[in-house]
Amino acid sequence: MKADGVLFHAKHAYMPNSLGYCGPDEKGQIQRDLEGNRSDGELVQTLQKFEAAYPFLKLIAKSAGKEVFDYSVPEAYWIGNRLLDLVPVSDFYSFSHHEIKGRDPVKVREVFKRLDGIAPPHHTFYVMSTYATAAVPDGPNVTNEAKRKIAEVVDNCRISWGVVRKVGKDELQAEVRRVNVEDGGLSLTLPAVKRVRYNPDVRPFRNVKAGDVVSIHWGYACDILTPRQSKNIARYTDVDINLVNRLMKSEALRR
Amino acid sequence: MCVTRAGKVVSTSQGRARVEFFDGRALDDVDVSVVNAKKGAFVEVFGNLALGLLSPAEARRRKQAWAEVARVAGAVHE
Repeated sequence: MKADGVLFHAKHAYMPNSLGYCGPDEKGQIQRDLEGNRSDGELVQTLQKFEAAYPFLKLIAKSAGKEVFDYSVPEAYWIGNRLLDLVPVSDFYSFSHHEIKGRDPVKVREVFKRLDGIAPPHHTFYVMSTYATAAVPDGPNVTNEAKRKIAEVVDNCRISWGVVRKVGKDELQAEVRRVNVEDGGLSLTLPAVKRVRYNPDVRPFRNVKAGDVVSIHWGYACDILTPRQSKNIARYTDVDINLVNRLMKSEALRR
Repeated sequence: MCVTRAGKVVSTSQGRARVEFFDGRALDDVDVSVVNAKKGAFVEVFGNLALGLLSPAEARRRKQAWAEVARVAGAVHE
């Protein structure tokens, strides 16, 4: 159970780390361990060095009474499951102040105030609320090009999902719904085909086929989702978007 | 996961920049076109996109926060 959780977590943390956006400089170790299907102490130690993802897992695990790398814990964080509902908002509030480095405490307070204590410790919520609380220039001067870039970075950084339509050597064509930035909020576009990289040497991608649903992070297919996970990621993403759109209406947050 | 990082633009070229973050790391090829950041500006970066400009006062506050994190981490590891 724990080995599955370590690998599931590593698959989703891998791409932004390899791009240099978060986590330690681990010189290709995560990829090597994923290809070798190894979940030993060295990989765990690397994953513990991620400045945000690992504290989130600890928060969820503590509330659920589970081990940090129990499969259900990283699944809750990246995809969404009922463990998210077990995290007391007071714990998440305190965690957001003390465990996540570099966040503005004034904005953290405003987020929780605005949402009446229903903020979930879900990766997509964190990504989207980060956008909602960043000092993004807005109003009539925002160009369509800027909106496109913002939507793209939010879309890449969240975990999205897609239905595989065509399987290539190291690329999939998957039907996805992208993030759209509109006046006053975020939404998802209608499904459209997008090219996504994948690593056939990482299990279970050797057997990926048309019709599978894959999770995607920074244009990279992380894992093949079960029907339950596919439903959950859609459901929790919808919740996240609705919450973030409430935040977007707060002038105090966008200063 | 991606975290927003605050840092200083140390060089720019055609809407891209090298940003040195207050956490001690740096990233080349940050897109600063949305906020039109110039060399010397303080920016909030998400992934590889500068999403916001920080005032010098706000940047100072963030830098101090990171210094405190580093100090505590250093004390823990000693």
